[in-house]
Amino acid sequence: MSNTREHNTNEADLSRRDFLRTSGAAAATAAVLAEAPAALAEEAADKSAVKAIGPQPIKLTLDVNGADMTTTVEPRVTLLDALRNYLDVTGCKRVCDRGTCGACTVMIDGKPVYSCTMLALEAEGKKIKTAESLIDGGKLDAVPKAFAKYDAQQCGFCTPGFVVAMRAAFDKNPQATPAEIEEALSGNICRCGTYQQMRDAIAALCQNQRKGG
Amino acid sequence: MATSWPKKRRLIGKDVQRLDGPAKATGKAKYSYDINRKGMLHAVLLRSPHAHAKIKAIDTGAARKMPGVKAVYLIKDSGDELFWAGEEILGLAADTEEHALDAVRAVKIEYEVLPHIVKEEDALKDDRQTVSEYQRKRNNVLKPKEAASDDFDKGMAAAEVTVEGSYGVPTICHQCLESHGLVAAWHEDGGLTIWASTQAVSKTADELAKHFAGKYKLDLPANKVKCITHYMGGGFGSKFGPDIQGIVAAELAREAKAPVKLMLDRASEIVAGGCRPSAFGKVKLGATKDGKLTAYEVDCYGTPGVGVSDTVTFNALPYVYLYTQDGKSFPEFKRKHTRIRTNTQLQRAMRAPNHPQNCTLTEFILDDLAAKLGMDPMQLRLKNLPQNDAEKVKSAPHSIDALKNTIYLREIEIAAAMSKWKEKWHPPGKTPGVVKHGIGMALHTWGGQAAPQRNECTITITADGSVTARTSTQDLGTGERTVTAIVTAEILGLEPGQITLQFGESDFGASSGSGGSTTCPSQAPATLRAATAARDDLFAKIAPKLGVKAENLVIELGKVRDKAGGKTWDWKKACAALGGEEAKATGFWTYGESQLPENKDVSSSGVGGVQIAEVLVDTETGVVRCTQVVAVQDCGMVLDHLTCTSQVAGGVIMGLNYALFEERIMDRVTGRQVNADMEFYKLGGIEDMPKILVHLHDMPERGVVGVGEPPTISTHAAIGNAIFNAIGVRVPHTPFTPDRVLAALTAKGGKG
Repeated sequence: MSNTREHNTNEADLSRRDFLRTSGAAAATAAVLAEAPAALAEEAADKSAVKAIGPQPIKLTLDVNGADMTTTVEPRVTLLDALRNYLDVTGCKRVCDRGTCGACTVMIDGKPVYSCTMLALEAEGKKIKTAESLIDGGKLDAVPKAFAKYDAQQCGFCTPGFVVAMRAAFDKNPQATPAEIEEALSGNICRCGTYQQMRDAIAALCQNQRKGG
Repeated sequence: MATSWPKKRRLIGKDVQRLDGPAKATGKAKYSYDINRKGMLHAVLLRSPHAHAKIKAIDTGAARKMPGVKAVYLIKDSGDELFWAGEEILGLAADTEEHALDAVRAVKIEYEVLPHIVKEEDALKDDRQTVSEYQRKRNNVLKPKEAASDDFDKGMAAAEVTVEGSYGVPTICHQCLESHGLVAAWHEDGGLTIWASTQAVSKTADELAKHFAGKYKLDLPANKVKCITHYMGGGFGSKFGPDIQGIVAAELAREAKAPVKLMLDRASEIVAGGCRPSAFGKVKLGATKDGKLTAYEVDCYGTPGVGVSDTVTFNALPYVYLYTQDGKSFPEFKRKHTRIRTNTQLQRAMRAPNHPQNCTLTEFILDDLAAKLGMDPMQLRLKNLPQNDAEKVKSAPHSIDALKNTIYLREIEIAAAMSKWKEKWHPPGKTPGVVKHGIGMALHTWGGQAAPQRNECTITITADGSVTARTSTQDLGTGERTVTAIVTAEILGLEPGQITLQFGESDFGASSGSGGSTTCPSQAPATLRAATAARDDLFAKIAPKLGVKAENLVIELGKVRDKAGGKTWDWKKACAALGGEEAKATGFWTYGESQLPENKDVSSSGVGGVQIAEVLVDTETGVVRCTQVVAVQDCGMVLDHLTCTSQVAGGVIMGLNYALFEERIMDRVTGRQVNADMEFYKLGGIEDMPKILVHLHDMPERGVVGVGEPPTISTHAAIGNAIFNAIGVRVPHTPFTPDRVLAALTAKGGKG
């Protein structure tokens, strides 16, 4: 399978170069916003410096699980919807769509993020990892492996979100205690009620990490 | 042919890992929500913003002209009346979800807003006729159902001690994480395929076929509608049949000549995806001084929404403890149940429909009585357990009627030991300090027999030794796939991972919906029969080629052995003798089959279940923390100890959410639900969870009984009783939030 995928590009009316320039400007604007509102106003007044994005669809390329994926979406499209609806990356689930339940959790440059709270265009240039990245050529990552072994899932719809959040927590601190891992999962909700088995998985993973396994 | 489970069991009852675990944990499992088809459109539903209104005019002209719009389907039209906020008005499909959402906002509707009632207490104060047109003459508050045992008055008169209380549970929402919905795609040959999030694959296909039968001059026999549900993200009783969104998606797909995805957004899922009805009641209980119940009286009400169904199991109150002996009722009873129709969504079955409410109206007052008697509430329960039916002990010794008392006694004994009840229980409110410890218990029961409808499983063995088990039934996350592999592998001497599973497609044979905890007791025996018959077919076909008699062939682990000559063949070698043939058999099961004398103890009906909860209650803040729940559960023969344990632990957690967090909050002014999201409709996270200790009381001699529902029934009652034990004051209504705990303490004039 090709490493690059193209989807739904029929309405692309910006070149990739144009888009990079505009999104770069947007990022600069955001940085200014935090520090100097006056400078922002000045910047905004200079129409040559800031090119408005949208509402028409824009072409963007996302680095998803190590592959560049290109698609065309309206700027209002969330990272979650871009992944699911435009790039067919469906391991991240849409449940609350309001930053409450954690089912859409992905890693952005290693940090767990609710992908429903981030615009797709904000994720350009960042490394996006979903649960699908935790199996490589049939080799299961230790976290999903523990979920399977201890049966920390029933319907499984929340599971990829939990798995990604837990992977990120262990990456951040390989020596994390079970309580710290639980805290890292406090932004995720399971309806079937698989927390007890999740605790079994956490206990085993923490023990293995301490052993250096 | 008689059916029976193998006497020696290698896999059944052991911990077997869920076979689809890795696929789910790595996001590879494709749920209906995850299906993307080429050229697929996205559909959304427009819902009523009013709890009761008439559509004066509806104009979709502007919406149809919005970018990307391909089809519009009217569910309601001008002149139609709407009876709850969230009721579906139309569906619209566009090329992108963004376009669909924009377009639906462009639909212009003029409403005549009519009076509504969304709260039970409002209807009781000022009853009206706000619910449905065809029952215009009917008030919202329906005529109560009433019943009493012959000697109720005598029973109450015989009481040396009586206690009265008011208890209640509000309406809660199913809150399935994968919302209701589907992808619908028509084929060039006129057939329809849907990928639906459903608990009833076969029924969903059938109902859609019925909807289109004769419509649009379509020739659409049932076998041309195919429903696929490979993975399902939670149903809990709310996902049977195509629902309105199923019909709308198929209609839109037909009009647009393109596949359509229609999954409910979260707010819609909550307001329209199902709810468990409320139950509030006044209860009076009479007993002798030594704690024998003499009479139980209940006057309760609840709302089924716009429907008319009961919100408690009327005939089962008092719950668990009611039994008859020699024509006399123990205890005597008097019941009154009032259904209050409100302008809210129609209730749906939710994990043990009506049983949690029954449990509320029974278990809380038992502890209040125990306190008045100065008794340990466990002793009170032991004194009043239903008795074994002497006749059934002789005629059907493995039936629930023959075993009720035996099961509860044993389970209470196990739960008491696991929870250290004797050491931990104390008279209510008698612990010192601000944060008080409490322990409480509750009992439950459920049926869980095989479904009346036919359930099938087909097993095929091919010459390369591969084995495929195929069934149209659905695995909701219960572990049904894994159980099917376990039973097949048990009979064929293989490992569960060696079985290829083909699940959840409506043309894979007959199956019924996963409701009433009926799937395992239906499918496991069907699989047992299929595997046994496929094995025999294999033996018949390979015996001549191996030069042996088929009746001498037996299965050993990974092998086929000739009993007469003693020779063994490795499984693959034995299967190779099939040559160009395959060995194949279909097994089926129904409730009727389970009742035949020759099939006794293959699947059975009826379970008990005991739960003991511990809490810490902060009497200054009112915060309740549940620290431990012990759940002892029987379900006849345990098939997969691991996934069965998960089911029970999951049930406990759903019950804990019922106890501490969940409540649908309706706004009486607008008639809308104010917490139709996941922020204010609370569900516990991992840090809110107690330690959960599960014990499966395995009774393989009874055969398979379903366990999906029972373990969630009594948790909230055990927690409520633990809170009472901690603070010595009854918090009457769930969820036991800090404000309610503090209000209960204040009413008693102190900090417990």
